[in-house]
Order: sequence, then C-alpha cells, then structure tokens
Amino acid sequence: MTHLLQIDDLVVDYASGGRTVRALDGAALTVEAGETVGIVGESGSGKSTLGSAIGGLLPGAAKVVNGAVRVDGDDVNALGPKRLRALRRERLGYVFQEPIGSLDPTMRVGKQVELALRGRGTKADVLPHLDRVRLKDPERVARSYPHQLSGGMAQRVAIAMAMAGGPEILIADEPTAALDSQIREEVLGVIFSLAAESGTTILWLSHDLPAVAKRCSRVVVMYGGRVVESGSASEVLAAPRHPYTAALVRAVPGELAEGERLVPIPGQPPVLDGPSRGCAFAPRCPDAHEACSADRPPLVSVAERDVLCHLAEETVGAGR
Amino acid sequence: MRLFSWWLRRALSAVVTLFLVSILIFAASRLMPGGFAEVVLGPFATPEQKAEVAAKYGLDESIVVQYWLWLTTALTGDFGISMISGEPVTTEFGLRLPVTAELALFGVAAALLIGVPLGVWTAVRAGGRRGRAALGRLASGLGVSVPEFVLGSIVVFLFSRYALGLTVGGYVPVGEDPVGNLQSMLLPAAVLSVFVIAVTARTTRDAVLGVLVEPYITAAIARGESPGFIVVRHVLRNASIPVVTVLTTVTAYLLGGAVIIEYLFNLPGVGTYIVQAVGRRDYAVVQAGVLLAAVVFIVMNTLTDAAAGVLDPRFGSAAKGRKR
Repeated sequence: MTHLLQIDDLVVDYASGGRTVRALDGAALTVEAGETVGIVGESGSGKSTLGSAIGGLLPGAAKVVNGAVRVDGDDVNALGPKRLRALRRERLGYVFQEPIGSLDPTMRVGKQVELALRGRGTKADVLPHLDRVRLKDPERVARSYPHQLSGGMAQRVAIAMAMAGGPEILIADEPTAALDSQIREEVLGVIFSLAAESGTTILWLSHDLPAVAKRCSRVVVMYGGRVVESGSASEVLAAPRHPYTAALVRAVPGELAEGERLVPIPGQPPVLDGPSRGCAFAPRCPDAHEACSADRPPLVSVAERDVLCHLAEETVGAGR
Repeated sequence: MRLFSWWLRRALSAVVTLFLVSILIFAASRLMPGGFAEVVLGPFATPEQKAEVAAKYGLDESIVVQYWLWLTTALTGDFGISMISGEPVTTEFGLRLPVTAELALFGVAAALLIGVPLGVWTAVRAGGRRGRAALGRLASGLGVSVPEFVLGSIVVFLFSRYALGLTVGGYVPVGEDPVGNLQSMLLPAAVLSVFVIAVTARTTRDAVLGVLVEPYITAAIARGESPGFIVVRHVLRNASIPVVTVLTTVTAYLLGGAVIIEYLFNLPGVGTYIVQAVGRRDYAVVQAGVLLAAVVFIVMNTLTDAAAGVLDPRFGSAAKGRKR
C-alpha cells in the first residue's frame, strides 16, 4: 500500500567549503494520513534537512546521496520542476521558525494571503482565512505590513497561508521557537485545531520533547541524521527505549519529581563527514559496548516501537 | 500632512545646503591663484590695465560685497554674464545643457534597460554553471574598471580609421537633423554606457542575491510559486532600493557633465564648459555650474529617499518619523 509519506534510507550531504557534512545518514520514516508527528532532535540532528527534503526544498549545497522521499507514492526527487511546484502548492504546507521574516516585507499581509490562495479564492476569501487563525482584527492585519505585526500575529498569518490550500501534510519547523512563551501555546493550538479540521497530517519539528509529546500522537526522535526511536508519544516519554531518548527525558526540566537531579548528556552531538561507522550516539551513551561503535545498529521493532539500537531488545521492560 | 512636513523639511535643508555650497564655491574660485585680469590680459599687462579690468567687472570690491551682489542678483534668476563671451550665463548653459541631458538620458536608459535586467538575470542564474558566473563577474569588473578614456580612445580610433557609418566627434542638434544627431551621439553614449551598465548590473546583482536568501523567498518556494513569479512579485521590489540609489546617483553624475567623454568626442556639453571656465577664471560660469550640479544632486537624493519610502514600507515609516 502507499503511505502518505514514506522516507527510505535517506542520505543527504552538504558541501561546505570543500568539506562534506552528512546531515542525514539513512533516515527512515513512514507517516500515515491523519497522524500528528513530532520530530525531536538537537540542532544538527538532521530534522530540518528531513523537513526540507519532503518538499524538495534542500538548498543548492545539499545532495541526496541515497534513498527516497515519497509523498502519496510520488518520488519527490524524481519530479520535474512543474510537478514539484504542484506538490508544494497542493499537498504540502510549510511553517518556518522566523515568523516576520517569512513574510514579504514590502507587501501588505492581505495581498500575501491572496497570493497564497492563488486559484483557490479571491480577495473576499482573505478575511475568513485570517479569521480562521484567530487573529483578533483581521481587517487591520490584512491592511498591515509584516513589520507592523507581532511575532505571534505574523506566525498566525504564515499558518493561514500554509493552510490556505488545505494541504495533506503541514511541516512546521520550530514554529514557536522565536515566540514568547505565552504565545507559543496559542499558536500551537491554532496549528493543531486547523489541521484537525481539514484532516491535515502534522509534522512538527522541535527540540522540545515534552511539548511535542503533549500534542502529538507520535514522537520521532532523531540523532546523528537518523531516526533512532519512533512510537506513541505518551509511551516514548514514559518509557524511552533508546538510550538517547532516555537521556533526553532525564535532561528535561519539569519532568522530574521534587529533589531529583537533571542529568545533562555528556559530550557533543556528532558532525558526520560520511556514514557513521557504528551508532552515532555510542561515544555519549552510558550503556555502549564494543558492537555499538563498530556496527551500525539495525532497526528493531519492539512493543509497537521502532528503535535503532543494538540494545533495544535487551532493554525491553527495563523501565529506563 | 506628515508627508507635507517631510517635503518641507527636505526643501529647507536643500536651501541651506545650496547657500553653503554657494559660499564655498565663491570663496574657492576667488582663492585660485591668478585672477580673471591676468588670464585675459596675459603676462605682460601693467597694473593699471589690470585694475581697469577688475573695476569693469566689480572684481575690485571686497569678496563679501562681491558675494552679496552675486547672491541678490542670482535670487532674481540672473546669474551674471560670462566674462569671456559677454553672454548671460543662463544663455551659455542653455546651449550646452541639451547635449549633456541627451547623453545622460542615453546613459540612464542603458542602465535601466540593460544594466538592471542583466543584474537580475545573472543573480537568478547564479546557482547555475560556475563558468558563467565567473564570466559575469569578470565582465562587470572590466566594465567598472576600464577607464573611459581608454575605451573611448579605442572607439575613436576604430571609427575614424574605418568608415563604420557613425560620426566621430562633433554635435548635431536634434532639432536640425535627428538622424545626424543620433549618428553623432551613439558612440559617446555607448562608451558612457559600458561603465553605467556595469555599475548598475553589479549593484542589481548583489541586491537580488541578498534578497534570494531571505526566509520569505524560501517560504515562497515552499508555497510552490514559480521562479518567474517569485522574481516579479517578491524579489524586484525588495531589491530595488540600492538599484534606485545607484540609478539616481548615475543620473546626477551624468547631468553634471561627462567631462572625459565630452572632450574625447568633442561634444559641447556642460562638463567641458565648466572645466574651461575654471581655467579662464570665468567666475560667474563656475559659480552657476557648480550650483547647478549641487541642485541636481540634492534633487536626486531627495527623489531617492522619497522612492525608498514608497518602495519599502519599513523605510518609509522610519524616514517620516511615523510610528504605528
């Protein structure tokens, strides 16, 4: 059967100043329609590259070395420019980190929404779209230029534009990272309720594991350019199977009982220049043994969970 | 109302600037070694003869009195007479301004119609083959750095050595013979355009490249907009301010007279006239010429700022002191 989104063994390299940096090292992910997926990872884990690859939006310096991204069975990297644009227009929606920067500074907001509607609505449809993202004074917002809006308002506009075409997948790349904490919840609420209304699948890229687990049905953890753990949100948070996920949970403030200590993860995330020989997390892993740095860990499916770890089966029920 | 006060402030500052420029140039022209009397009478003139000439043109008055006389008559639109020809300065400039204006028009048209599209095209294509990008950089580098007199001399040589259908040197007024005018202006305009096109293309290219990496362009690509649509709807306007600035600067510069081109092609333009006037200590002409250049620059600068306010709403609210 065809999945809504299927990413197979995706390998992406960036060429930077004569050096090659491997951003994705065989990432794999399958998403079905209607899921809400939170992709969690540190900066450099490859989550943004993964998000860009879905819409064929990788920058010129990036090269897909191996693997494929399929949306509804269409291989994104094999599409011609015209069909790729149609894919972006009709089936995908993107929301980026920088809300005001994502809007054209020299064009009134209403006009930008109108352009985003292209062929799917006219000027008269602009206000309802702004109303949908719960902007308080849509008419004033429509008349404004982006620099006259707050970050939260601008991000609502960006969401309205991304959702204008009723996309099948909404890819939100750290959509609230640049916003004040009070506004974050409101903006996330808008994203999730709009997506639920129109049956849009959400891919939310974030570094905030508990926030993601709270709203998403599924959590996908990335490390060193691979998906290391994937499973139902509540279970991944409650009983992580991958040592990295476990370390992430222990490093999160607010998830601990009074008196417990936060445990930082020692060391630095890897910067790969080619395929990782063993497990990318092995140097920082408290449970690593010899096989971990020698062999690439295989994907293990245990208890409705996909885990990329040599120890996955041993740790079943270990209650990390 | 806000807009009105903005223009009013610009006008006031322009008046002050012009006043200061006029004092400066008046002082500078009188401080040049050797006066008008020495120039017209030659090295063997007696002091009596010199005094006579000085008295005739009011040059024996103190510089402050001279300036006051100049200023009060200039305010009535009378900029005095050329002491060399005896004709009113305004008449003299009236003869030469059309030549300079025509040359400037060609230059600005070339910048706008060739330089700007070339800059946009090379920027949008920058992601393509490396060879082409390097070639573009080399061409614009050469265009900017080859001196006009080198290129001009080559053109003058080629077109006077071989009959290629264009006139080298001399000026035919448009009114007299439009075709002859075009034949005589095409070569100087072309030489002038090389530099102007290169500067404009390079500025445009840099501006467009700067806009192309903005997040709103990435967002537009992610929405599935086509490259042509993105350039027209998002890139051009956002990249326009530096381009407008270079265009108005080039215009102002050309209206001040392209001295080297005028000399090379023997065109009776404003640039050579002012240079000659400086050599002959033809004070009233120098004074009016420099003031004319100052007016042109002030007008162009004001237009640039006004255009920036229209083109970029962020800039507009800052320039006009408007807070939302």
